[in-house]
Amino acid sequence: MAMNRRDFLKVGAGASGSLMLSLSLPGCSGLPTGYEQETGEWRPDAWLEITRDDRIYFTLARVEMGQGTYTGLTTLIAEELEVAPGAIEPRFAPVADEYKNPLYKLQLTGGSTSLATSWEPLRTAGAEAREMLIRAAAGVWRVDAKECSASEGRVIHPNGIDSMRYGQLVELASKEILRGDVALKPAAEWKYIGKQNRRLDARAKSTGKAVYGIDVSLPDMVYAVVTRSPRYGGKVQSFNGDEVRAMAGVLEVMEIDRGVAIVADKYWRARKAQDALKVQWNFSEAIDLSTPEVFETYRKAADEDAGESERSEGDTESVLANADKVVEAEYSQPYLAHATLEPMNATAWYRNDHMEIWAPTQAPDLGRIAVARVTDLAPNEVTINTTFLGGGFGRRLTQDYIEEAAAVAFRMDRPVKVIWSREEDARHDLYRPAMLHRMKAGLNKGELSGWDHQIVGPQILNWYVRNAGPAQFPWTPKFLYNTLGKVGVWAEGIATPKDISAIEGAIEYPYQVANIDIRHTHIDPGVPITWWRSVGYSHNGFAVETFMDELAHEAGQDPYQFRRRLLANEPRHREVLDRAARLGGWDTPVPEGRARGIALMRSFGTYVAQVVEAGLEEGSIRVYKVAAAVDCGQVVNPAIVVDQIEGGILFGLTAALYGEITLEQGEVQQSNFHDYPLLRQYERPEVEVEIVDSTETPTGVGEPGVPPVIPALGNALFALTGKRQRTLPLKADA
Amino acid sequence: MALRLTVNGETHSLDIEADTPLLWVLRDELGLPGTKFGCGAGLCGACTVHLNGQPVRSCSTPVEMAADGEVTTIEGLGSGDRLHALQQAWIDHGVPQCGYCQSGQIMSAAHLLATNPSPARDEIVAAMTGNLCRCGTYSRIIAAVESVAAGEKPAQEEA
Repeated sequence: MAMNRRDFLKVGAGASGSLMLSLSLPGCSGLPTGYEQETGEWRPDAWLEITRDDRIYFTLARVEMGQGTYTGLTTLIAEELEVAPGAIEPRFAPVADEYKNPLYKLQLTGGSTSLATSWEPLRTAGAEAREMLIRAAAGVWRVDAKECSASEGRVIHPNGIDSMRYGQLVELASKEILRGDVALKPAAEWKYIGKQNRRLDARAKSTGKAVYGIDVSLPDMVYAVVTRSPRYGGKVQSFNGDEVRAMAGVLEVMEIDRGVAIVADKYWRARKAQDALKVQWNFSEAIDLSTPEVFETYRKAADEDAGESERSEGDTESVLANADKVVEAEYSQPYLAHATLEPMNATAWYRNDHMEIWAPTQAPDLGRIAVARVTDLAPNEVTINTTFLGGGFGRRLTQDYIEEAAAVAFRMDRPVKVIWSREEDARHDLYRPAMLHRMKAGLNKGELSGWDHQIVGPQILNWYVRNAGPAQFPWTPKFLYNTLGKVGVWAEGIATPKDISAIEGAIEYPYQVANIDIRHTHIDPGVPITWWRSVGYSHNGFAVETFMDELAHEAGQDPYQFRRRLLANEPRHREVLDRAARLGGWDTPVPEGRARGIALMRSFGTYVAQVVEAGLEEGSIRVYKVAAAVDCGQVVNPAIVVDQIEGGILFGLTAALYGEITLEQGEVQQSNFHDYPLLRQYERPEVEVEIVDSTETPTGVGEPGVPPVIPALGNALFALTGKRQRTLPLKADA
Repeated sequence: MALRLTVNGETHSLDIEADTPLLWVLRDELGLPGTKFGCGAGLCGACTVHLNGQPVRSCSTPVEMAADGEVTTIEGLGSGDRLHALQQAWIDHGVPQCGYCQSGQIMSAAHLLATNPSPARDEIVAAMTGNLCRCGTYSRIIAAVESVAAGEKPAQEEA
């Protein structure tokens, strides 16, 4: 990532004499910050702070939801600063322009982008601080700074004996000028990158001391539960507020945009009161459809509209018309919930015309807009404190739970914590979209001659712009939030110039074919949707990689070799495919009653191939082994890479084996882990992960483990039973 | 109702509705938020604590059932500043990802090892199957429990 380092690094002395090195992440400089300038509000930067007593604080602008930013990003700073990662205390960032994700222009953690976007800026920040400390010490000793070095939080004198602690040097260092010409350490000198294996948050998370959103506790805090429309879009018509208000501990019963909130002195009293609450809903604008209608709607749309072309090469139509053999198949996938183990929650405190929020959120600047939307407040009258997240997976990109807490707290004179039940979490989620795929391919003498993929389903961004636009342009007048917000997003280009959530994983089709046609038929049945760990790659991956398997069998070829031959120009794809095949014992005999399946997907810049070994036991699908090969460029923390790929595999297996949210007349039918199960310990397959050695710029690993495992398992079941399953979840008795 | 509850060795007198789940008493009345709310139905195990030495799902245990009992939570598992061997193993093996389920996982594992110090792999898997982890840390959980059962010395380095 090319940039002028002078542009994003600033230095200053802190009030307490500490050295504060602030860094504006690239991509932010052009961002308007009008409203903050007008009010003269101090705007903190992203910064590293070193105190006189040698404490080193690092403000972490990418939230920690399990994926490892707390350790990984700290390691980048530590490497160049010449301190052990464990010597640095990460702090969660407040909302500020400097913390925006340069790819999204929002303060957002998602899309497996944290490491890639931090790789150079954070190392540079660490290096600049180190050099300033060295120059400060050299000035004291009257020696050439080039002769000094830094190690373990100290600057070392050229004589190799004397040294000074960073803390002793911060005041002098803060007077040094940033030169913007610091050289980053060569890979051969790295002490922590590629080697650091410990997690810096493991201790707090093994002792019960890590503070998640649900753990926030404030003086005089009260609790709220919200009853929402059982069908999305329903509005409150009336409710028995007086009756509920008379119940033990109940302080307030109020209508808010999202339903009816009960505030009580204790959480359990709020819950009990909720049992007595009777709400009459107006369903005139509510969704009314059932799951089969969703797919009927999709099929009708697909028949009527061939879709917008997303990639077109050659002349697929005529090639398919003249092929020896044309293979056609339709795939579908259901809505999926996120099921973070920490249910949605947020705590809000309105006092002195200011709203303070504590919440586990993936996008605190969107949270600020959500608060402004439901109160009289402007975004700069809202403070968001981010906590550890008990899982994110995309769910916490949407700020509905913060919106609820703010709406309630705005009318209370005490802090309020809103906690969702598990059932509410399942029924009022925003889901991974249900999707339909129509695939068609031509084979000539066993060679792939044409590939046609029609993707049918909604786009996610449409559900998102209402808060994203104003977050990018916080001075947007409120009455324009819904309209200008959208224009702003398109103008600025969130995520990418267009929403690729429906087509990602399809348009990057890596296999060599001269004639290819990929189209998206847009149809949105109105069921709330959002991003979900690997999103489009999760459904397109299933369609593309299962269909590739079908073609291999139609062509009478080995599914691994069939793919491999079509990857002659894609060395990184081919490398992970070869390694997964080797690791998974593709060419070795399969134990009796088992079969293997293979799949490959590059997502978020990371290449992952997997071989799944599965069988059927007592009427259930049993996954014995998953071998995965991953190329994510330069590895920062090998253990976290393995963990994320393995975690992604189990997440994908949960979807493949169980994941299904269904609707009946607009109502979600699932509620808790008995009817929306997650993979359990006894179902865990043996997972082996092999990482390709690479010096390419690091890419993310939070999501890429998910997509291949779903088709790889389906392909294994086909190899076992001869029956092809084209819809999810997979069944033992298909 | 008024009741007495001993938690992590400290006895508390409480006046609380009898059907309040133990979980919310621990978290909101006694200031011990290490025990987590996951499902409210005993399905995920995030709220696991020991009641009179037995693992229970505190989300679905009315506090009256714990009256006069002794409760141990994640905060009281170690002794003073010394971590329980499992907690140290969790750190050494880098088990937690999001970490939300881990208090419950550790409490289940602690009960297993208290009753069966050298469990076989199958026994560990069976004992831990009631605890869900959405991040997929299951294999590191097994490795951490096995390392404690095998009496491996914890790493010296602290995270």
